[in-house]
Amino acid sequence: MQATAAFAPAFHLRQRFRRWMQSRQPRTDTLQLTQRNVYILPTKAGLLFAGTVIVLLLASINYQLNLGYVLAFLLAGSGVVSMHVTHATLRGLTLHLKPVAPVFVGDAVLLDVVLTSPGSARFGVGMKVVDGAGGSISWINVPALGQATTQLSFVAATRGRVQVPTLGAETRFPLGLFRTWTVWRPAADLLVYPKPEYPPASLPIARPVPGGPAQSRSADGGEVEGVRAYRRGDPPKLIAWRKASKSIEAGGDLISRDTSASVHQALWLDWQACGSLPPEERLSRLTAWTLAAHRAGIDFGLRIPGREIALASSDAHRRHCLEVLALWQ
Amino acid sequence: MAVSTDLPAGFVERRKKPRVGWQRLPRDSRDTLFMLFVIGWTVLPHVAHLPLWCSLLTLVVLLWRAKLALANATLPSRWFVAGVLIVAIALTLWSFETLLGKEPGVTMVVVLMALKTLELRAKRDAFVVFFLGFFIVLTHFLYSQSLFVAGAMLVSVWGLLTALVLVHMPVGQPSLRLAGALSLRTALFGAPIMALMFLLFPRIGPLWGVPTDGLARTGLSSTLRMGTISEMAQDDAVAMRIRFEGDAPPPSAMYFRGPVLARFDGTEWRPPNYETLSALRAPSNLRVRGDPVRYEMTLEPLRIASLPLLEATRTAPVLDGYQPLMLPDLQWVADRQVMERLRFKAESYPQFSQGPSTEGAPSLRESLELPEGYNPRTIAWAQDLRRSPAYANASARTLAAALMAHIRTGGFSYTGAPGEYGANAVDEFWLDRREGFCEHFASAFVVIMRAMNVPARIVTGYQGTDPLPLDEYYIVRQSSAHAWAEYWEPGTGWIRADPTAAVAPDRINRGRRLAPRPGFVEGALDNVSPQLIADLRKSWELINNRWNQWVLNYSRGQQIDVLKRMGFDSPSWADLALLLIGSLSTLALGGAVWAWWDRRRVDPWVRQMEHLRAALQDLGLASATHDAPRTLARRVRERYGAAAETLVGLLDTLERQRYGRSPSPRPDPALTRAFVAQARALRPAR
Repeated sequence: MQATAAFAPAFHLRQRFRRWMQSRQPRTDTLQLTQRNVYILPTKAGLLFAGTVIVLLLASINYQLNLGYVLAFLLAGSGVVSMHVTHATLRGLTLHLKPVAPVFVGDAVLLDVVLTSPGSARFGVGMKVVDGAGGSISWINVPALGQATTQLSFVAATRGRVQVPTLGAETRFPLGLFRTWTVWRPAADLLVYPKPEYPPASLPIARPVPGGPAQSRSADGGEVEGVRAYRRGDPPKLIAWRKASKSIEAGGDLISRDTSASVHQALWLDWQACGSLPPEERLSRLTAWTLAAHRAGIDFGLRIPGREIALASSDAHRRHCLEVLALWQ
Repeated sequence: MAVSTDLPAGFVERRKKPRVGWQRLPRDSRDTLFMLFVIGWTVLPHVAHLPLWCSLLTLVVLLWRAKLALANATLPSRWFVAGVLIVAIALTLWSFETLLGKEPGVTMVVVLMALKTLELRAKRDAFVVFFLGFFIVLTHFLYSQSLFVAGAMLVSVWGLLTALVLVHMPVGQPSLRLAGALSLRTALFGAPIMALMFLLFPRIGPLWGVPTDGLARTGLSSTLRMGTISEMAQDDAVAMRIRFEGDAPPPSAMYFRGPVLARFDGTEWRPPNYETLSALRAPSNLRVRGDPVRYEMTLEPLRIASLPLLEATRTAPVLDGYQPLMLPDLQWVADRQVMERLRFKAESYPQFSQGPSTEGAPSLRESLELPEGYNPRTIAWAQDLRRSPAYANASARTLAAALMAHIRTGGFSYTGAPGEYGANAVDEFWLDRREGFCEHFASAFVVIMRAMNVPARIVTGYQGTDPLPLDEYYIVRQSSAHAWAEYWEPGTGWIRADPTAAVAPDRINRGRRLAPRPGFVEGALDNVSPQLIADLRKSWELINNRWNQWVLNYSRGQQIDVLKRMGFDSPSWADLALLLIGSLSTLALGGAVWAWWDRRRVDPWVRQMEHLRAALQDLGLASATHDAPRTLARRVRERYGAAAETLVGLLDTLERQRYGRSPSPRPDPALTRAFVAQARALRPAR
């Protein structure tokens, strides 16, 4: 629908108006809905309803039906009351966005929104991401003096620090004659890591740590001293099947026994080792390698232009590496 | 997109009881079934008026739709629905020979409503069903506005609103009870607006011509053919309600004078020819005797200019917006057709005479004319009578008495269904078939009197009321429509002669209607306690009459009365409109103020914490909104130690009240006061 509407000048005007409206809204992670930021307009159904009431009234006048007057005025009264109820459904609510977890490019970002009602129960509140592909609404009820959580999602399109998009809450409860809505610009941003390369390239070969015990053995003979990620050409007998099955369950690769002194080996994930790929694809490959190396439990370091991260294997290290990759340049 | 709702158990629906029957249905099916039920209920009272095929079609479609909903099956294609619609249109044409008018209109709306349920795909379709539903509710009032219909339709509106609320509660499976309560709340809050608008919305006449069959009412008209009034006898609709100040006149005196018909063309009676304005305003020579009867009349919209007032009214009643005028034939007419309900006061003199002076009055010649070539045998019969020695020189009064005697003894019978009469209707009636309704007797009487050279004319109107008054109100129905005759007696003037009284005295003296025989249940109750049934009936009639007076008959007259009671000196249409606009604006302002006040309303616990934090702020203890009472207690203890044990104790109490094992529902204001006082006490110690 938007594709066809995009050519209409009215659509552009509306977009501009919307952007202007949004820019007037301060960013905040907790939004208290008051009369100032809750808007209300009749829906098409509301206009149809008004037309129905007018026709009922005209019929009552022409046929002199006093009960017809009663019917028309009862509907009119209910419509007016429903306007207040619709507005009061959003008014007073507090919207709060929980901290957002980082994701990879192309994955869905999950936003946990907590709605708190200071008074009566609220029914049929719809939350959605206003701009962005995920346009569908998730509906929720908020209990009296209580909270409810709903989850929204949008697809992260670019890496780096990404602003949480504008969110919207709306409701048509109870009669659908009016639509109340609010626009919320959360202050939070989130980290989007580069998209891991798929299928992943095999990890580069680990090298002995300079200064460590200089034992160099052939890869397929000698004592087994550790494990490493599977490399193409590893003979099946070298695969540590038990560990590999766990690793595969966790979404990783096969794991081979490392006959060399892996404890003292270090894996450098190097920008330069990515061949002649364009920068973004190099970042993707380095991301995939970081994930694989961390899964394999190997000490690894990261070298990208302008940054070098020392060897380590902890979760914090993985996070640090991904963050550096996300924010590179 | 994932929707997670961590509502506390029992929020939307208490699930303690095992769900039974329809509660176990999936939400969509249940909602659809509920809507079908509401639609069925809304259409049901129409079954009496609809053609059989329409009722059956609606029933089949609703049942089929219910089956589809239960089986969660796909809906039929649009082509199929369109096909059924075309068949229904054809059937409507076949039943009524038109698509316009009330009956075919109602039939089509019901069919559309039923077929629309087969197309409930989007929310928009649902809205169409709701609004069609409201229309159907209105169409019931065209047939009846009784308390029963009103009650049934109130349930319908409630059901439709509940279904509408259900559509807008998309989460989970809200119970029907909850949706019903929410819609009831909406309607109840809307009720004051409804009452206000009902009281003050200016009652005006119809904005444009209404198709005459709109109310399916036969009524008085300015012409009379054989069969016009017997048609009206089938119509139980109310024509007017009358409340007498003092005693009511006897039924035999209750003649409500409508159009007077003097010109006869052989088949149709027409009013006298008032060619000029001065003829219209010619003196009536009305003379009255005795005391007048004063009464208040509520006149239903009869859609004629004639005002059927009790005979004989001398002074014009005060009618807001109309200028009543008495014609020379004593008929009262308004200056235009009366299309709205009127309430007014009038006084009439049961003892009156018109004449004998003819000064200024239209000549009597018109009341002697008979069309050439019609009814030759009756005219011959009349001339024979006149020539007979006994009546050769008889007065008009004697001749009239002779005719009355002939009607009483000549084997005439009074019937509402006399059948069709041909071109020489009076011949056929007077000499052959001898059965007819009031109009047959009246026109035969007038034709014979004229044949005997006595001026005579037909008067139409209403005669008699319901036998018993309802809460002081006497009801005149369309079925009381009547036609009688008047003849001219030189020296006396016009004299009323009602030939129907000769053949069916009950019709005139007691009101034609007889009390219906008691039904089975009523009969049984009568045996148990006649007093109880009498009391029940009396209170029912009382309620029903209040309903009639305050809801159904509420008209501009009552609106003006309401304004007078509110202190307006000479209320007018404009006052009503201003008052309505003013009240609605006040209400709207009230709504806005409520919304503004509601904005400042926060969680009482949060408000209490704000007070406590402000008190601590005065002591120089900073805190954040998210700090729990426990945290504040720790900080207070760190700062003041034992000196602030009371404050710490209060904070601990608050912690227990709010988050403890059995939390209290709302904060304790005493605690807030104590805390603020204690904090103030601490200040000098700083």
